[in-house]
Amino acid sequence: MQGLAGVAACGTVPAFGASAATRPPYAPRFFNAPQWDFLIAACARLIPADIHGPGALALDVPRFIDMQMQTPYGHGAGWYLAGPFMQGADNLGYQLPYTPRDLYQRGITGMNAHATTRHGRPFAALAPAVQDDLLRAAEQGSLVFDEVPSAVFFEQLLANVMEGAFSDPIHGGNTGLGGWTMLGFPGARADFMDWVDRYGAHYPLGSVSISGERA
Amino acid sequence: MSGDARRLSPVDVVIVGGGWAGSIMAKEMTEAGRSVVMLERGPDRSTAADGAYPASIDELEGNFRYRLFQDLSKNTVTIRNNSQQTALPYRRMAAFLPGEGVGGAGLHWSGVHFRIAPDDLRLRSRVIEKYGRAFIPEGMNLQDYGVTYEELEPFFDKAEKVFGTSGEAYRVNGQVVGRGNVFAPSRSDHFPLPALKDVYTAHIFRKAAEEAGFHPYSLPAANASQQYVNPYGVQMGPCNFCGYCSGYACYMYSKASPNVNILPVLRRHPLFELRSSSHVLKVELDADGRRATGVTYLDADGQECMQPAEIVILAAFQFHNVRLMLLSGIGRPYDPARNEGVVGRNFVYQNVTTSTVWLDRGVETNQFIGAGGGGVAFDDFNSENFDHGPLGFVGGSPVWVNQAGVKPIGAAHVGGPPGTPRWGSAWKAGTIDTYRHSLRIDAHGANMAYRDVYLDLDPTWKDTCGQPLLRMTFDWKDNDIRMNRYVVDRIGDVAKAMDARQVHLVRREFGSPFDTRQYQTTHLGGGAVMGEDPGTSALNRYLQSWDVHNVFVIGANAFPQGTGYNPTGMVAALAYWAAHHIRVTYLAHPGPLAG
Amino acid sequence: MRLKAWGRLLGAMLLALAAAGRAHAADDLVTRGEYVAHAADCGACHTRAGGEPFAGGLAFHLPMGTLYAPNITPDTQTGIGRYSEAEFIRALRQGIRRDGATLYPAMPYPSYARMTDDDLHALYAYFMHGVKPVSHPVVQTGLTWPFSMRWPLVLWRRLFAPDPGEVQHQMRERQFPDALVARGSYLVEGPGHCGACHTPRAITMQEKALTALDGTVYLSGGAPVDGWRPVSLRGDNRTGLGRWNEQDIVRFLATGRMPLGAAFGGMTDAIGHGTQHLTPTDQLAIARFLKTLSPQTPAADGWKYDPAATLALRAGDVSARGAALYVDSCAACHRTDGRGYPTTFPPLAGNPVVMDPTPDSLIRIVLAGHVLRATRQTPSAFVMPGFAARMDDAAVADTVTFIRAAWGNNAPAVTAEDVGRIRRTLAAEHPPLSLPLN
Repeated sequence: MQGLAGVAACGTVPAFGASAATRPPYAPRFFNAPQWDFLIAACARLIPADIHGPGALALDVPRFIDMQMQTPYGHGAGWYLAGPFMQGADNLGYQLPYTPRDLYQRGITGMNAHATTRHGRPFAALAPAVQDDLLRAAEQGSLVFDEVPSAVFFEQLLANVMEGAFSDPIHGGNTGLGGWTMLGFPGARADFMDWVDRYGAHYPLGSVSISGERA
Repeated sequence: MSGDARRLSPVDVVIVGGGWAGSIMAKEMTEAGRSVVMLERGPDRSTAADGAYPASIDELEGNFRYRLFQDLSKNTVTIRNNSQQTALPYRRMAAFLPGEGVGGAGLHWSGVHFRIAPDDLRLRSRVIEKYGRAFIPEGMNLQDYGVTYEELEPFFDKAEKVFGTSGEAYRVNGQVVGRGNVFAPSRSDHFPLPALKDVYTAHIFRKAAEEAGFHPYSLPAANASQQYVNPYGVQMGPCNFCGYCSGYACYMYSKASPNVNILPVLRRHPLFELRSSSHVLKVELDADGRRATGVTYLDADGQECMQPAEIVILAAFQFHNVRLMLLSGIGRPYDPARNEGVVGRNFVYQNVTTSTVWLDRGVETNQFIGAGGGGVAFDDFNSENFDHGPLGFVGGSPVWVNQAGVKPIGAAHVGGPPGTPRWGSAWKAGTIDTYRHSLRIDAHGANMAYRDVYLDLDPTWKDTCGQPLLRMTFDWKDNDIRMNRYVVDRIGDVAKAMDARQVHLVRREFGSPFDTRQYQTTHLGGGAVMGEDPGTSALNRYLQSWDVHNVFVIGANAFPQGTGYNPTGMVAALAYWAAHHIRVTYLAHPGPLAG
Repeated sequence: MRLKAWGRLLGAMLLALAAAGRAHAADDLVTRGEYVAHAADCGACHTRAGGEPFAGGLAFHLPMGTLYAPNITPDTQTGIGRYSEAEFIRALRQGIRRDGATLYPAMPYPSYARMTDDDLHALYAYFMHGVKPVSHPVVQTGLTWPFSMRWPLVLWRRLFAPDPGEVQHQMRERQFPDALVARGSYLVEGPGHCGACHTPRAITMQEKALTALDGTVYLSGGAPVDGWRPVSLRGDNRTGLGRWNEQDIVRFLATGRMPLGAAFGGMTDAIGHGTQHLTPTDQLAIARFLKTLSPQTPAADGWKYDPAATLALRAGDVSARGAALYVDSCAACHRTDGRGYPTTFPPLAGNPVVMDPTPDSLIRIVLAGHVLRATRQTPSAFVMPGFAARMDDAAVADTVTFIRAAWGNNAPAVTAEDVGRIRRTLAAEHPPLSLPLN
């Protein structure tokens, strides 16, 4: 009855009962060890754990990104990647021949090389304040990593970090629906008929995911 | 057509594109007893497969992986801001999001379903009447549509009944009947369904707009406020404000789409055949180029086929229609240097900026609740509803709260109030605050047509079939920027009446070029416009090619310039209008309907 | 060349006209036979989804194994093309095949025994001249011994099948309040063979009642078929059609949807192949007859809407067993008030299927979903998604228990074991239903 199982029609649903507590640690399939270390360190700075809610690590954002690299998206599906390639004004958009996988390979290698040159250690081994400085430098585009402007890499990373923190847990991030709970987003219940005209009322029901996980 | 194309059995009508325009034309042509083949480039789509509950409630897939949208890897456009630049390919989805697949963007649109302001249909004449010819800025190709509101009214009415549109009328048959838009022209009938309920932010906006002296009304929405059975007998569920309209197939069957509202009847019609995954390459013309003989397309197996037909209807998305005309040699391509030629002329966009108001931290705005077409608007600064004389610009903008359901990845990208970093703890705090306590107000303005804004074929980049990409030459012009800035100031007036904690008004900036990296809107228009002068329009007022009389081109490509409204309602009405004239005149007497 | 072509066309048209004149009477009979085939719902069993009409092959999953409906097209090798009219009528009324073997009683010949000579004559004409012959052998391989043997069927037939002569006599003698009820009784008890599913069967598999005259067990609800439990069609207030009026029933037979419920399970095919094609008068006749059936168990307390569950859910109180699951998975369409959005999404409050003593149908719909099919009058289909992947057995049991007890419903709780039993039947042998395209 797969065809009728609405929860299965648009993706693979993890079997019920798999909880964070019983999961083995995630082994990345795309990122190698130094890249993975970078990703973990960078995610922890982009969405740190604090009084507002969980950080990117508790939300398994690195796992989300690694899983995305296995999807067609990671391989550049839906991007026009035909040549010739020439750079133009920034407002005319992305003009590189690289897929998300390429951007991560070049970007992380570049960030680590830069960190080592500048501070004698790879990114993950630096103090948080130094890491923030490097991320800001990348964001402002003052670095270039093997033909990839650092801002392009940073935007790729930041976009995927946001996706990992706030997409349905079916994609590997937003563990325990922590991202949604932090924002106050109810999730995949997708029905507000009782609430649309209750002005100012606090919506009391917790978040729920596509697979039925609740928070 | 290359030599090895498979020649198929002829049909009466071949339609390119399986969205709203194509489905309406197919329905009308089968009603007229004509055999129809509809060719859709993308896959077949349905609520059951693409709108399954709860699997489709997936923001990543819907709005960030563009599951239902055009595959740019195969075919895209190139863009530049002016003709001195080299246009570069639009390689990743951002500024606009064209659809693909059966239902077209009609499957995953929001649902705002407008008619048109009567003055907008004859804007050139109206501006000259009111302000004199010299009021039109140099370089603005201001034109009339060549059709009046009174002529189109029955077709607006028909489209609303097919879509099951929710709204509140102001005037029906000349009588004031409700609290609808006081600026809207008289209607022949009420909306088929009552207006959607106001969400909280729309409710706040309505009160504040009234206090500011404006005239708010409920947005007309093709999201059904109740269950509905349309004139074709198909059934819609009611909208439950789930917030998954734009980017999604509606799992409640409550957002009008070709798939829900027309195709269930068409698919069982013996004269109708749908061929999905069929990409049209070219309209074939006879030896003297005055008559189309059919279309050549690649079928689902990649086999090149020639589908002969008596009538060819181009009903793909706006810029695909223009590109097909250019690739097929239908109509004279536009030459901006001489301001001559018509195909590619008057390419227009929509001029939208979004401002944000933060309310007290005790007020939860529940932005996750929403309907794509729902909300509250005022038209005091739209169209010719206000005196442009002292303001010195052409065009206008409705203002609205159209809370279509803000979702968390989108909210994370929006972030916090101005000055908030884009990541880190401060970003978290700002994002949470904004998500929970703010509301967003759009100035949804018109974009005028200009001599140096146009479409043509790119000399460099090609699609996967080896055909040149379409090239857009587009930038914002001072007239439109001035209009936006004036109207956004009026948003400031409304925000003052809201007990706002903070207001961030976003205006278009002079000298800031069109940015393809930021989502703006997919309301692209023009490029093959309708009109009464073959010198300035590619299509006559029946959307028939002036040059090849058995080619009709249905879509927002026909708009001579932009309006403040969302285009779908106008496209649907134009489709019914053109179909009506094909049925009553053209089928019996094929030939030019005008001129 | 052109003249010649016109001449040929004209000749062909004249020939066709002449043939049409001759064939007119015969066509009438065939058309009437087609109508009888709808009334007898032949297609529901003998036409496979996506298969050629009446070419057979539909599987019946019975406790004793799997039975396949035979090919009844006029194909001479694999169908019934060699049947004489007398043989055809004997098969329908007495369950005896052309070669003398006895049919499995999945073929409702105890009901068809009631069909009139006229109807069977027309039906024969239709199957011989209105149905395309299709060569499609259907081999029975799925029955386990001893049910694979045909000889016990003879015994069964002699013991339980009514004698057609007696039946016809009984029908002539029977009194009805009006002609419409009489017609309804004929359609329901005869060709419509509603009791085949909706009347309980004895341990020896015969229907415990074949007509309304046989007492209140008639149409009081049957054993689950393919996991679907056919509900009572009697006047029981909570679990039957007590609160459905004639027009409700007519609408249901015509479109599969009405304000109090929607069609699912085997009824989907019964409507698709059968009742939607009946005339409004015949649909009304069925409705009027069904409304003459008294409740099997007259209940002191008819169903009355109780808003307690609604008020709790609207206040965000999801503490009741299954309430949170209901809100997360069901309320979007069926609403917190259980009233749904009929006729798009059916109500659960007061729905006889929901309150049925046997929860199988409800469990199965929650697990596997279902499709409300399009009909001639209602071109829109609606899909209920399945939740088998989202909910384990305990969660389904909690959800179903909530639904069965909320809004004035009063059916007993369901256990995870009940759900597990149904889940196990949703094996691969049940092909996925094709999904509608709207």
